[in-house]
Amino acid sequence: MKLSAVPAAVLLAGAAAAALLASRAISAGAIAAVLLGVCLRAPVGRRRLYLVGAVSTGLGVFVLSPFLWIEGSSALWSGPTVPVLGRVDVTAEELEIAALNGLRLAALGLAFAAYALLLDHDRLVAAAGFARRSALAVALATRLVPTLERDAFGLAEAVRGRGVRVEGARGRARLLSPLVAGSLERASALAEAMEARGFGRAGATRAPRPAWGVLDRAAVGAAAGLVVAGALWL
Amino acid sequence: MALARVEGLTYAYPGSEAPALVGVSLELREREAVALLGPSGSGKSTLLRALAGLVPHFHGGQFAGRVEIAGRDTRKSRPAELAGTVATVFQDPEDQVVMTVVENEVAFGLENLGTPPGEIWRRVEDALAAADALHLARRRTAELSGGELQRVCLASALALRPRLLLLDEPTSQLDPEAAEILLRQVAGLGAAVVLSEQRVGRALALASRVLFVEAGRLLFDGGREGALEWLAENRPFYSGVYASDNSVADEPAGAAPACRLVGVSFAYRPGAPVLERVDLEVRRGEVVVLEGPNGSGKTTLAKIASGLLEPAAGRVERVGRAGYLSQDPGRYLVCDRVIDEAALAVGGDRGLAQRALAQVGLGWAADRHPRDLSSGERERLGLAAVAVAEPDLLVLDEPTRGIDPERKAEIGTWLAAYAAGGRGVLVATHDRGFPAHRRVSLAGDSSPAQSPTSTAESHALDSSDAVLAC
Repeated sequence: MKLSAVPAAVLLAGAAAAALLASRAISAGAIAAVLLGVCLRAPVGRRRLYLVGAVSTGLGVFVLSPFLWIEGSSALWSGPTVPVLGRVDVTAEELEIAALNGLRLAALGLAFAAYALLLDHDRLVAAAGFARRSALAVALATRLVPTLERDAFGLAEAVRGRGVRVEGARGRARLLSPLVAGSLERASALAEAMEARGFGRAGATRAPRPAWGVLDRAAVGAAAGLVVAGALWL
Repeated sequence: MALARVEGLTYAYPGSEAPALVGVSLELREREAVALLGPSGSGKSTLLRALAGLVPHFHGGQFAGRVEIAGRDTRKSRPAELAGTVATVFQDPEDQVVMTVVENEVAFGLENLGTPPGEIWRRVEDALAAADALHLARRRTAELSGGELQRVCLASALALRPRLLLLDEPTSQLDPEAAEILLRQVAGLGAAVVLSEQRVGRALALASRVLFVEAGRLLFDGGREGALEWLAENRPFYSGVYASDNSVADEPAGAAPACRLVGVSFAYRPGAPVLERVDLEVRRGEVVVLEGPNGSGKTTLAKIASGLLEPAAGRVERVGRAGYLSQDPGRYLVCDRVIDEAALAVGGDRGLAQRALAQVGLGWAADRHPRDLSSGERERLGLAAVAVAEPDLLVLDEPTRGIDPERKAEIGTWLAAYAAGGRGVLVATHDRGFPAHRRVSLAGDSSPAQSPTSTAESHALDSSDAVLAC
């Protein structure tokens, strides 16, 4: 039995909200770990970019924020005094808060990764009711990430095929402009194709989809439970 | 009453100095099959867009004259309102896919047109079957090959049951057999069809009427027999001369190899081999064409030959530098001017770049922005951008996609001369008319060779001194 797209999206949103509301690092960490497990069901090639993004963002917050906050008295390390920031030090309390915030952010990123990698966005668009255009825009924007990754790889490969070296961050940065221009061109072509296929015309209908099952209803209930638990107990 | 009527249509894109169409007048009748021929950038795609109402609604620009579809003036009816009466399959399938799953993609247009929900899935199934794509129904669109996507795009158009079907190079990424099947299906639809094609034989096999457009003007409008006479007299490259002669004289004998692949195997993911123990040799002085159906591994083998992919097993020997032209011309648009794009691989040497552009018939475009070029012109720019550095092994993946027969013949001749200079040329293509010294066929099962599989050993190509800087 497979979870439908809308209940799955609601469940992921519930998990992300619970992680943001959680006040203990272990709770946020547990939610992040579960979401990581879910993401690992996606094919290796597709999940890599999303997982690197989610984990590195969380890690970045954990590593950097203790140096920027002034919190707690249990100093673990004392550094120099920096203009504007004041004295740079790291306390046990700062590390605890950094871990919580890092895990919250990682959980949020992983929930988005699971949404992008595993959900049937077409079903979400179909279920969007009056906001169908907005849902389609979100679905197309989500698809932009893997498309951009594929285009970037293809562009770099084509440049290599010409015997031209792409060196370091500066060389890669030079590819950014053609990559963005290519995306805009593609977006324009897609908009044209959508218009030619009647998008935006009055009186649109929907293809029939299977009704929600017990598992789908349970998932929506679990999502609500997660939010409440995140606010009260986690 | 005519299904479509075009009267004195003159149109210029916004910011363009020259009009894309000049004084075009024609009528299309119900159920007739029309081949739309003409050189790259001649206005064929613009004419199709005008028939779909996308010109001027979507593109803006200056529009004079009148286009009527089923009695509706396209200036007063938006393209979305004409959808269903008209359906369009555009040139690049990747740029027209909206949904993530194939069956939903085909259903998209039907939903927009307000088709009764109970009918939608049945029509989706019928359309996929007609496009020979029923087996793809549950696949993700992002995982499909170019040829598979073309079938899905055609199915999406067929599902609308249009009275007028506009096809802009709809088989450019299909192997000849698949293209023939697809066009046969189109011919049996009962809709009026306008087919823009650079593979003239395919278009003429379907059409009872031919339109020839050049520099935005309709030069010929008549029946197929009359068209063959007119083409033979006025535009001989379109009359089949090129397609009938696909050999190149002076095959080199005993020349040293530019590249040798022995027992090469490759898989993108475990358990799904694309190539298994394949042998291939390209000698200096020869043009070798690599043929095979969609999914047979031509692109993979071409990339291995050029050093962009390392084989999982087998041996690759290459002498000197290799250059590779990808089948997506959009990947050769890095700089802001055509001349800079062509000069990228030679450290900005504009003299060499100008010569390379002239060789592919783009000398006139040196100062233009690469994104202002048509699809076929972009393909030629890619060729100039790779060949300008004169690599010892030139590997081209579908270099004739969207290129008109005259330019194609010129490129064939030029490649033969390039090879005669002591270099090897490997061309992966569906184009059976492409001239070559030798044709190697890669079967769907990647033709295991007799040589035993060995461990991977690849002699890396010498890298150029050029770095990325426009």
